[in-house]
Amino acid sequence: MNVIGYGLAVIGASLAIGMAGGKAAEATARQPEVAGRVFTLFILAAAFAEALALLGFVLALIVK
Amino acid sequence: MEGTATAAAQAVGHSPFALLPDQVDELLRSLGTLNVNGEPYGANRFVLTNYTFFMLLALVLLGIVFFFAVKKLSLVPHNRLSNGVEAMADFVRNDIAASQIGHGSDKYFPFLATVFFFILFNNILGLIPGCKPGTGTMGVTVALSTLVFGVFNAVGFKEQGFFGYLKSFAPKGVPFPINLLVWAIEVLSAFLRVLTLSVRLFANMYAGHIILGIFAILTALFTEPLIAAIRTGSGLGGAALGALPSILWIALMTALYAMEVLVAVLQAYVFTLLSAVYIGIAAHEH
Repeated sequence: MNVIGYGLAVIGASLAIGMAGGKAAEATARQPEVAGRVFTLFILAAAFAEALALLGFVLALIVK
Repeated sequence: MEGTATAAAQAVGHSPFALLPDQVDELLRSLGTLNVNGEPYGANRFVLTNYTFFMLLALVLLGIVFFFAVKKLSLVPHNRLSNGVEAMADFVRNDIAASQIGHGSDKYFPFLATVFFFILFNNILGLIPGCKPGTGTMGVTVALSTLVFGVFNAVGFKEQGFFGYLKSFAPKGVPFPINLLVWAIEVLSAFLRVLTLSVRLFANMYAGHIILGIFAILTALFTEPLIAAIRTGSGLGGAALGALPSILWIALMTALYAMEVLVAVLQAYVFTLLSAVYIGIAAHEH
């Protein structure tokens, strides 16, 4: 049951990071001169999304 | 992760996976808060926990590295250590502080650099087998994020004035009742920053170490047949067949370790970046 919960928690984060990465690549391709700022934004967005997945992971381990 | 090798050695003979649940339990127990000698943590008396011990070790290392880095300062540093530390400090000042806070960012650079190097050294020290990251426990990360919370609120009250800072949470140009509602949500989210900052760092380090530990156990289990085949000197074909999965597992383990190194640096970067973002929001009127 815990594993299913973790899987559910990961779905959202994986979608979010995938979208963020794809859009970051697109933005860098459209405008290569802002690559640095786009990368910072991508890291920020990925960190926000990833935290939710890790929250699910830790809860899956802690809650028996 | 200690003791997995001996446990794996005992597992030879019968199915190597029979001991897997016990080993995972042992791994999770070793990642919990224990006294530094490995006994269960007792909250009734003052003791050094394993995480506090490695945090102090990281602090000592940080002190030693920076002592030697700034020992002989010159305009053009020829010391490799000085150059490395300078490059990292420069990264914090330009790419984190200046890009997120804007003008007047040099005032906050010392604080951000302190946070960055503290987290970086803790994370990197935790990757050495046998060591633990000081940031892998909620106690340390909540303390850090509470410190950041205090600092950005102090900056906000100082730069914008008491009521100015409180008012800055409300959006501009929004009619009255919605205005108040958004203000309340914004204030709540500012308090939630303590939680999200600390849980992000803690969960990344804790989860990363659990994944590394589980993969280390599995690698040990899969490498065991190879070692046994070599030791008994059975046929070359058997050894080659047994080596194939174990080499893959060792390669996977190495790749995961490299990813954890990336995560260790990235989390230090993300924590400092978010601190800079919060300070930047508090420092300037929008």
